[in-house]
Amino acid sequence: MARRRRGVEAVRLALVALAVAWSALPILLVVLASFKEARDIFEVPPRLLFAPTLANYQALWAERPEFFRALGSSLVVTLGTALVTIVVSTLAGYVLARHRNRLLNGTAFGMVALRMLPPIIVTVPLFPVLNALRLNDTHLLLVLLYAAFYVSLGTWIMRAFVARLPLELEDAAAVDGAGLGQILVRVVLPLAVQGVIAVAIFVVVFAWNEYVFALIFTTRDARTAPVVIGEMLGTVEGVQWGVIFAAATVQLVPVLALVIVLQRYLVAGLTAGAVKE
Amino acid sequence: MVAPAVALLLAFLALPAVYIGWLSLNVSTYGQSARFVGLANYAELLGDPVFWRATRNTFVVVNAIVIGELALGLGLAVLMQGRVPAKPVIIAILLAPYAITESSGIVMWRYMLEPDVGMVTHVLARLGLGQLEWSTDPVATLALASLIAIWHHLPFTFLILYAALTTVPRDVLEAARIDGAGAFQAFRLVTLRLIMPALLIAVLFRYIFAIRTFAEIWLLTEGGPARLSEVLAIYLYRETFKYHQFGMASATGVVMLAMSLLIALPYLRRMFREVVRGG
Repeated sequence: MARRRRGVEAVRLALVALAVAWSALPILLVVLASFKEARDIFEVPPRLLFAPTLANYQALWAERPEFFRALGSSLVVTLGTALVTIVVSTLAGYVLARHRNRLLNGTAFGMVALRMLPPIIVTVPLFPVLNALRLNDTHLLLVLLYAAFYVSLGTWIMRAFVARLPLELEDAAAVDGAGLGQILVRVVLPLAVQGVIAVAIFVVVFAWNEYVFALIFTTRDARTAPVVIGEMLGTVEGVQWGVIFAAATVQLVPVLALVIVLQRYLVAGLTAGAVKE
Repeated sequence: MVAPAVALLLAFLALPAVYIGWLSLNVSTYGQSARFVGLANYAELLGDPVFWRATRNTFVVVNAIVIGELALGLGLAVLMQGRVPAKPVIIAILLAPYAITESSGIVMWRYMLEPDVGMVTHVLARLGLGQLEWSTDPVATLALASLIAIWHHLPFTFLILYAALTTVPRDVLEAARIDGAGAFQAFRLVTLRLIMPALLIAVLFRYIFAIRTFAEIWLLTEGGPARLSEVLAIYLYRETFKYHQFGMASATGVVMLAMSLLIALPYLRRMFREVVRGG
């Protein structure tokens, strides 16, 4: 019996190891290959120990200046989206947590319903309108679009986090003469900061990585890094793998680090947005 | 204070979604004003074999993604309930694909599966399985796209199921075992029943999101060869940005919206009861 149990344990851990390989190997292989000479990249089996070179990164810098401009665009869009979404979601989430009436409840439900809508369908009417408004290919447009996609989830997360806070603190602050703005900034935000972080991580990962809308609504000035990586993959004259690997590595490091550091907030966000508080 | 949120949602989601309903009843392209044609766009859509191919592909890809993710996610969540060394690190690694952008995901999988030179291609050849002809064979394209989509989104499904499993109380399980239930029986009768709400939520959201699948296929083949690997999102994109048939594109959008709402209906009905009536 004990031997059988040990056998089951070994199989279980082997399967976990397999899952770890499935998740990590595709990423690891590309990161490693970004430090290899072009002729070694497709060596089979891939070598894990080798003399690393920065040649691919130098080539990326020299031949693909648009990638670094796109990286800058991604940064601007991501920070802008995070800021707009957090402010708008906190305001709405606070009201929806503290007040109940037919209109507000309907709004909360409408937000859930709108998350079911496939976003790509709105590109059809939006594209000509935004073109006329000269908003296409601007950072502002991507910020507003991405914020619109995430304000529902953000509001629900903030609503759940605010609802957990005791009312007494806000009442006490009000008695002391604090206005609503002061109460929000001084009392609610510090206590609901975990909610803010949960919203931030979802929005940042989304905005930093979003592909379809950036492909559709940007051409040059506001092109983001994921789209440029896609373009590098689509070149006719043969893909420069080493350079793409360098670009992919540069793009993934900050957001991967963020997800690993803040992973425990992902669960909180997933459950707050999906089920009743 | 709710106004900014509502304004964003109305301007970029709600109003455009309503507007495509109207637009789908018109013939509309650049340089001419829209002309009302009733249901002609829908008739043309239903008569277009490319649309049917895209619909069928969407059906296959969406189910492959959701079922594959559910099986892998549930299995992994169960495996991770037991003792695992350095568990937080392992979970962080399992979540990593969530942080990867779709175009980099394609880069990574193409690196392994590139015809003739990829390392998995070598292994497949060594095993006598031939190559995965993802660039020319639409079945292989859709299979690889589904695989990559599962890789990207497994963290989501896994995390929801893992979080749900950790809430299953141990004494209930032990009671079931004492009453003579086998391990599998206890799992089916107790655990699965307790995590069912979370499981249904995960499946529903994954269906809703998988219907939007675009980048995986677009970056592999752009829906080719000969539009054979298109899904509905790519069909809509082509009608809009290549052929400028906004009426047709809108009709496609209405179809996608209807599919999503149909799947979401039970969930939305429950949320409506809880939030609007009970709230």
